Amino acid sequence: MVYKPQVMEHLVRPRNVGELDAPGGVGESGDAACGDVARFTVGIEANRLEEVRYKVYGCAACIAAGSALSELVRDTHLLEAARVSKADLENSLGGPLPEGKEHALTLVLDALHKALEDHWNRQAGEMLVEGYDGGPDGGTNGRMKSVVVATSGGVDSAVTALLLKEAGYDAACVTFRLHDGERGSRSCCSPDTVLFARDTAHRMGLPHFTLDLKDLFDRRVMKDFVGSYAAGRTPNPCVSCNAHVKFHAASFLADRLGFDHVATGHYARVVEEPGGVTMARPTDAAKDQTYVLWPVPKELLSRTIFPLGEYRKEEVRRIAEEKGLAVAYTPESQDICFIPDGNYRGFVRKKIAAEPGEIIDTGGRTLGRHAGVVDFTVGQRRGIGVSAPTPLYVTEVRPAQKQVVVGRREDLEVSEVRVGDLNWFLDYGEADSVQVRYNSPSVTCEVEDSGGGEVRARLAEPVVGVAPGQSAVFYKGDRVVGGGVVRRDG
Amino acid sequence: MQNDVVYLDHAATTPLDERVLEAMLPHLGGAPDGRPRGNPSSLHSAGAAAREAVEEARASVARLVGANEPGEILFTAGGTESDNLAVLGLAASDPSRKHVVISAVEHPAVREAAGHLEATGYEVTRIGVDAGGLVSPARFAGTLRPDTALAAVMWANNEVGTVQPIEEIAELCREAGVPLHVDAVQAAGRLPIDVSRVPVSTLALSAHKLHGPQGVGALYVRGGVELEPVLFGGGQERGLRSGTENVAGIVGLGAASRLAFEELEERTRHEEALREALISGATGLPGVRLNGHREKRLSNNIHVSVEGVEAESLVLFLDALGYAVGSGSACASRGTPAGHKASPVLLAMGRTQEEAISSVRITVGKDTTRAGIDGFLEAFAAAVSQLRELSPLYTS
Repeated sequence: MVYKPQVMEHLVRPRNVGELDAPGGVGESGDAACGDVARFTVGIEANRLEEVRYKVYGCAACIAAGSALSELVRDTHLLEAARVSKADLENSLGGPLPEGKEHALTLVLDALHKALEDHWNRQAGEMLVEGYDGGPDGGTNGRMKSVVVATSGGVDSAVTALLLKEAGYDAACVTFRLHDGERGSRSCCSPDTVLFARDTAHRMGLPHFTLDLKDLFDRRVMKDFVGSYAAGRTPNPCVSCNAHVKFHAASFLADRLGFDHVATGHYARVVEEPGGVTMARPTDAAKDQTYVLWPVPKELLSRTIFPLGEYRKEEVRRIAEEKGLAVAYTPESQDICFIPDGNYRGFVRKKIAAEPGEIIDTGGRTLGRHAGVVDFTVGQRRGIGVSAPTPLYVTEVRPAQKQVVVGRREDLEVSEVRVGDLNWFLDYGEADSVQVRYNSPSVTCEVEDSGGGEVRARLAEPVVGVAPGQSAVFYKGDRVVGGGVVRRDG
Repeated sequence: MQNDVVYLDHAATTPLDERVLEAMLPHLGGAPDGRPRGNPSSLHSAGAAAREAVEEARASVARLVGANEPGEILFTAGGTESDNLAVLGLAASDPSRKHVVISAVEHPAVREAAGHLEATGYEVTRIGVDAGGLVSPARFAGTLRPDTALAAVMWANNEVGTVQPIEEIAELCREAGVPLHVDAVQAAGRLPIDVSRVPVSTLALSAHKLHGPQGVGALYVRGGVELEPVLFGGGQERGLRSGTENVAGIVGLGAASRLAFEELEERTRHEEALREALISGATGLPGVRLNGHREKRLSNNIHVSVEGVEAESLVLFLDALGYAVGSGSACASRGTPAGHKASPVLLAMGRTQEEAISSVRITVGKDTTRAGIDGFLEAFAAAVSQLRELSPLYTS
């Protein structure tokens, strides 16, 4: 193993060594037991990286990479600093590092990016924890066609960023840390979704930022998810995230960078209507995500771009392949992101104690016992634990009485739905149909205001399995008129 | 610039002694009478001359280790081959025995050979060591069984320099009827090795650790000990190591062994004085801790963990300043893409992962000077201080 002279030069005369006394951000990556730790402190003024100091415990490659990186990013705009890739760093060290030493590049870049992440966290203060709706310096300030793209390390968001870049946008990618269940998020030696997303952005020549939204996500999504089960409702965490987390955080960063737009890899379209901006179903009906996007606030939607709304999934994959993006081969994510094994009940059970109670029929007769209402949702057929000549379905969950009501399929039919927590893009009166489940057709309806911030949707034909807590999304043709949360009857 | 390097990595390899080179040159085509190079197996006079040179070398090696007969010495391509031949060859000589005992601090040449036996159905017992790296003879005795095919304990450790109580261990093996293999690659030329007093069955050594050439070694095999070959061919070296002899190399090993035997006391005394200066100088710095046994250690070895500093960066920093020392995990770190693999020897001694990957080995030789050591200690202090300034883990 022989190092290039540039590496030895940085080892013996490292630049920008130390720590800033009053840093604007601190980031550390690595682990003493693994043998490498890098720490960056940064001083940022008006989005310029005025000062950078670094420290490294580790091999010569790590020390040299830290030194070279500090030189590359010092006194540059944040967007330039966040664009520095492993390849850029390697070039500044005179070419490829010896085999087995490439991790030095990842280590020091990660420490720098964590320092930038810390900078945004300090900027955000409570804003991102409470929910962001445009900060003091919110709004755009002149960068035309500029966009912050939320990227997850998956194929859809990567192609979104690529399409916008190719359309001439000034694009910056951002990945959100939402919870600790992500692959490798706790270990320095295993694959990490953030590292992968960063690498993907850098390969496209785009700057990449990371925002730590774990507190916000916990408050607005995870607690709601667990609480809903306890209250006998069927939650949709993607809806909560879109309502409070993802678009707000992307807008927060866009405002800090002076960028106009935000974009995600969702399959939906944003369209201008006489009544204002609204959302519309995408070209690829099979991937339609409008059902979970209804709560995006209208003022955030008006700056949002969904490039994939015009594409089919196969095309997106083909674009990724043609452009040589490694994400082309990542598997489709299906489950709730913070429950990778798909065991929702197990997850909820760990958070709240289950209290046993009765299983009754629609006439009030006791049929059996259950271990806790959290194990049941309306419409459920499997695992009820009561035998009957005809299949039994859960028709209602009553957490206060610890009761689970079961009945026949017909008992699940409803012809009217109460909907609250509303968010409208167009006037509610324009709605001609409503969708009450993911991936199921919308049903013709009439909507009337029932007061108290609720509407009542009268369905042209009865539907089965409308559970409280689910979303009800109203459409006019392919336009999303608005949406809300299904209320309990009565 | 290379001329200015102070070489302090004699445990890795030693400079070739000029006198050894002199002895080898005639066998590398430099014969003064223009005689052609011969194969020791050939009948003609060139072959006879080569044979004679090999036998002379055999006698020198035999004398270095105290063998009764020169015929107890086999020439090999180095320490690793000697260790492999001993471990695999002793095991194969009695297929009814399926148990092997090794110490936890063996060189990879023994450790991996035993691991290979394990993969083919042997049971391997690995005896731990104390904080100084010593094997306890009492614990060792408890591991020997009637079905133990062989035991292997090194004479002196290649990393931390700890010298094992090999006389006691060999005696225990003799009593139990278990063949003992001893890796003496680091010990040969530094410790008085005398197999006439210490009942080992086989003993490995290597020329390039004795100021001889690289790529040649020897295995002592006590008369009467049964050993199966691992190489098959022309039946050279009593059928135990087929292949045309590396004549020049063997001659080099012979010359190096003769010089080591003659100069052993003088070299050891010289090295010990330098070692003591190094130990007091290096461990005088805060957060620098000596690894290995304080007294029972090789005359030329110091091995330290340097708090807050990773070994590779320290080694390369010192290299840039003109001092060549060994990384505590030099072999171990090769080919491990993610993170360091700490030395199993240090972990066996109860050192933490951090201490293990923060350790360097400084090994002097017969030609190391006091001025070189003084210069080194100055450079070491400077390197440690600069790297600690860089280290996020070190606070003075």
